[in-house]
Amino acid sequence: MGAFYFIRRALRDIKDNGLTHLLSIGTIAISFFLFASFLLVSINFDSFLQAWEKKVQIVLYLKDGVAKKRILQIEKEIQKQEEVQQVKYISKRKAMESFKRDLAPYGGLLEGLKEEVFPASLEIKLGEPFRTPERIKALAARLNKIKDVEEAQYGGIWLERFSIFLYILRWGAWVLGAVLVIIIVTVTANTVRLTLLNKRAEIEIMKLVGATDAFVKLPLYLEGGLQGLFGAGVSLLLLFLLFRFFSLKISPYLSLYFGQLRLSFLSPDLIAGIMGVGLASGLLGGLLSLQKAAEV
Amino acid sequence: MIQFFQVYKTYPGNIEALADISLKIEKGEFVFITGPSGAGKTTLLKLIIRAERPDRGEILVNGRNIARLKNSQIPLLRREVGFVFQDFKLLNHKTVYENIALVLEALKYKKREITKRVRQILRVVGLEEWVIKQTPLKLSGGEQQRVATARALVKSPSILLADEPTGNLDPGLTVEIMNLLEKVNHLGTTVLVATHDTNLVAKYKKRALPLYRGKLVG
Ligand SMILES: Nc1ncnc2c1ncn2[C@@H]1O[C@H](COP(=O)(O)OP(=O)(O)OP(=O)(O)O)[C@@H](O)[C@H]1O
Ligand SMILES: [Mg+2]
Repeated sequence: MGAFYFIRRALRDIKDNGLTHLLSIGTIAISFFLFASFLLVSINFDSFLQAWEKKVQIVLYLKDGVAKKRILQIEKEIQKQEEVQQVKYISKRKAMESFKRDLAPYGGLLEGLKEEVFPASLEIKLGEPFRTPERIKALAARLNKIKDVEEAQYGGIWLERFSIFLYILRWGAWVLGAVLVIIIVTVTANTVRLTLLNKRAEIEIMKLVGATDAFVKLPLYLEGGLQGLFGAGVSLLLLFLLFRFFSLKISPYLSLYFGQLRLSFLSPDLIAGIMGVGLASGLLGGLLSLQKAAEV
Repeated sequence: MIQFFQVYKTYPGNIEALADISLKIEKGEFVFITGPSGAGKTTLLKLIIRAERPDRGEILVNGRNIARLKNSQIPLLRREVGFVFQDFKLLNHKTVYENIALVLEALKYKKREITKRVRQILRVVGLEEWVIKQTPLKLSGGEQQRVATARALVKSPSILLADEPTGNLDPGLTVEIMNLLEKVNHLGTTVLVATHDTNLVAKYKKRALPLYRGKLVG
């Protein structure tokens, strides 16, 4: 008679009082679902942001007719900025060639294209620590002021707002997480107390025939823990189904606008963590209700 | 062996259930606790398994000092003492089998052993196989009485306490239950029977401890 015996008894308690437990597991699952979806969204935004940060560069378009010497001078000047990792000169000709390469399938249309149409530019890669929207914006503003520079361009300025949003999202997730623990503890404590009431006669008899305290209480602790675990499991399953649906049906459309989206589900570590939190807070709830009913 | 030394028990509301009880019951004895309703018979039996605590006095059961027993020791005491409750205390939503098996589960018996012992004890108390799957409320009073007795006996206690075991039974069933208790006693178990039935006591010629208003008389 090992752990399984007690788990079986806890499961029987849950089954005997199905509706109450269904409600509490449902409540726990909903709260977990909210928490986990905040987490999931913030993780995906985060990796989206990181992917962008890797690619990020500033393109400095030069005014027409700037002398080669002056361009080298500008390059040196830029190189001196601490944020800058690499500067690459793209001549008018190169710009046209790469444009043609990109649009090769539409070949015919490009026949008469002259290289004069394309401005020469400097492509600037930033050092890793400086690839944040704020730093990029600041650097671009400085570069814009250099003489003979037409315009400093960089993609995805809207990501700036994005990173603030992400910050809020992450905090939201942790606040929700804290609320979640409170909810689970309260809900499981209550259902365990109900079980305790329902099983009063059985518990009394078990004790009268010589059952130890641990024997009587262990299934009740486990009952709390299992509720937390089931709630977490149900919410993750639900979230996973929703995630699959989203990544199969909806993200192809989004890719049209945002480029290739690589969505990922919660990592195994996080899943284990969420299940662990469910289990632990459920056990805590069980513990609390049994503490209150000290003398069963 | 059971010994009481000047034991007192008062319930909340200043109800004096037992006063100045001293007694000694040897191992293997068969003893009646007699007296009218309210005399304190049930209270006396409950003190033996520490379902109630005495206010004063000492109680020894199988060498244990019951009044000063640590909480962790109570289960050990209760394993040695079987109790047939006056109101049976059967779980009505569980089958007869589950009711009896519960005791052995609580004592951490293996599943195979539990099945074997439950069947065995049901035969001992004279219940047939079909009863196993019934819930107690579907059974007659006499059958319920036997289930309650079986549950008390299944853990092979060295002491059996039976509270009004013939309380609601017709004369025929009363004889059967008493025969069962005597059989158990012959197998070495100390048996205490609480009863208000003076005819029963007269008929069986065992030692009787008469209680009256919480005091041992005669
Ligand atoms: N839990 C309790 N709280 C308060 N008073 C109680 C309690 N249990 C018993 N009493 C009182 O203690 C006295 C003795 O009760 P007890 O049950 O021991 O009598 P008894 O001899 O078993 O009676 P009966 O033959 O009716 O079962 C009675 O006056 C009863 O009302
Ligand atoms: Mg009584």
